[in-house]
Amino acid sequence: MEPAMGMGIVALMGAAATVAGCSEDLESDIGSQSNPNSQVQLAAQVGYPHRIFNKAISGEPPSNAMYCAVGAGVAMVLMSESVMSASPLIAIAIGAFVAALLNGVFSTTSYMGRNASQTRFNQYVYLDVLRNQILSLMGHAYITTFCIVLLSYVMWNQDLIGHPFPFPVIALIWGLCVGAIGSSTGDVHYGAEREFQDFKFGAGLNAADSGNITRYAEAGIRSSMDNAWFCSKFGGPVTGIAFGMTVFLDNWRSTAFGGWVSVAVGTAIVILLIIYNRKIETYARNKYGPFPEYAGDIEA
Amino acid sequence: MSEPTETANQIDAKGIIIGLVGIYIAGIAAPAGMPYLAFLAGIGALFATKMGADAVRRVCSYGIGTGVPSIGMLALGMGIIAAMFGLAFGKMVHAPFIGPIVGLALALAIGFVVGSLANKIIKLNIPVMERCLTEIAGAGVLVLTGFSVMIAGSMDFVVISEKVITTGYIAPVFILGALGILHPFNASLGPDETQDRTLIHAYSCGAIAMTIGGFCSIAAIGAVAGLITTVVGLAIWYVTFMGFVKLVKRDAGAGYVGTGLLPPGAM
Repeated sequence: MEPAMGMGIVALMGAAATVAGCSEDLESDIGSQSNPNSQVQLAAQVGYPHRIFNKAISGEPPSNAMYCAVGAGVAMVLMSESVMSASPLIAIAIGAFVAALLNGVFSTTSYMGRNASQTRFNQYVYLDVLRNQILSLMGHAYITTFCIVLLSYVMWNQDLIGHPFPFPVIALIWGLCVGAIGSSTGDVHYGAEREFQDFKFGAGLNAADSGNITRYAEAGIRSSMDNAWFCSKFGGPVTGIAFGMTVFLDNWRSTAFGGWVSVAVGTAIVILLIIYNRKIETYARNKYGPFPEYAGDIEA
Repeated sequence: MSEPTETANQIDAKGIIIGLVGIYIAGIAAPAGMPYLAFLAGIGALFATKMGADAVRRVCSYGIGTGVPSIGMLALGMGIIAAMFGLAFGKMVHAPFIGPIVGLALALAIGFVVGSLANKIIKLNIPVMERCLTEIAGAGVLVLTGFSVMIAGSMDFVVISEKVITTGYIAPVFILGALGILHPFNASLGPDETQDRTLIHAYSCGAIAMTIGGFCSIAAIGAVAGLITTVVGLAIWYVTFMGFVKLVKRDAGAGYVGTGLLPPGAM
């Protein structure tokens, strides 16, 4: 493959990954999956029944791995010569659609199941909450799965990058990866940024304050759509950039260089990012403190 | 957690016996010219899924909240190693039919060791830990072997590795099998969880894995056999999903509402 073509493919994969990361984070924010889910789950128990979608399919990494592996598996069947030799784009679109349907089923059962298991805390199962959010969840899951299965296909195809792993396994790994990045990068902005701005920097969060996340939005009781609106301003895009950079830098170093040089470049990228992150952290602590050193005698 | 309607022994007996019988009927009949029976391995895997889900339910009710997904992944992690070892061992000694049993025995042993390590060395001190992890590992191996045999239509390690592992269909089977074991309890977590609701949900999740596995087997063993598995899986899913919704209505009682404000006193 020509170098220009190779770099073009890498750029395309990075772009697809950026979109996938953004939609993955927004999907998990609408459904309050992963990190915010603990607070939504606790809310009813600390006296705050709510109308927020409680989507506990598992952590984000396994559930996104599931959508992507299923999408790729279905696409692989449709593309195989013994079935219908479908064009890759159509096959991936249908695979992503099946994955979105699974997202709908698993989301429904977790919303209904979790709320029915909290009846004693006065937590209701609101069917309008289910109906209102489920299509946006499935829509975002479709975009995520489509982009990730597409970039996995580009990696797997022998004429393009030609990765030795099978197609669904590559999709499974990238699904795990986007879930992990969405969980660690994006979810922070759901709760920490918005709800706890009046807390002292570095003060930590008392468990009794957890339920606050389900209370008020700009107008009235907060709904899951408010969370998506808020998170689409920063949390979603920053997740997309993080995942897009992961995919782009990883493929760029192995496309532009070869052998041990690409390993050295990868190590250099990791070291640079660690130093950069440390700089940002110390800058933020100094700028937004006070952040007293722990002396061992502060009551929790 | 409510009183169980089915005891652990009953669920384990059904899971292991129906699981193995299904795998053996499918594994013997399909290569002998009846690939249409491959779906029986999926039915066996459904009961194994239920066994795993019940074990997760019992061990995780000791307060392992965020550990529920991890324990499901652990199950299939132990399961895939044992399943592949068992099938490869059967190939090695030229007796493919001992594969599933060797795999199951190895998984039970791994599960017991992992459970003992968690309890004795890490000192989690959960009384049912050893038993539940043994069951979870057993469920993991039966789920993976069942769905692999269902997709490949054979118990031969060479056929399974060619049709399920090299093609990558193992990826959706692995993750859907894991979610089938972890999701039923994870989705019902809370003080008002009931066993029948969790277990009917386990069937429903297993049926989803069976449907997707059946679709994959269209490419592996043929259109008719694959479609039979897919349709049977979809039918089981529909029945069990509607059953789950019915039990949600029963458990939520007056709290199952079309729309409405927050309950009185919630603000």
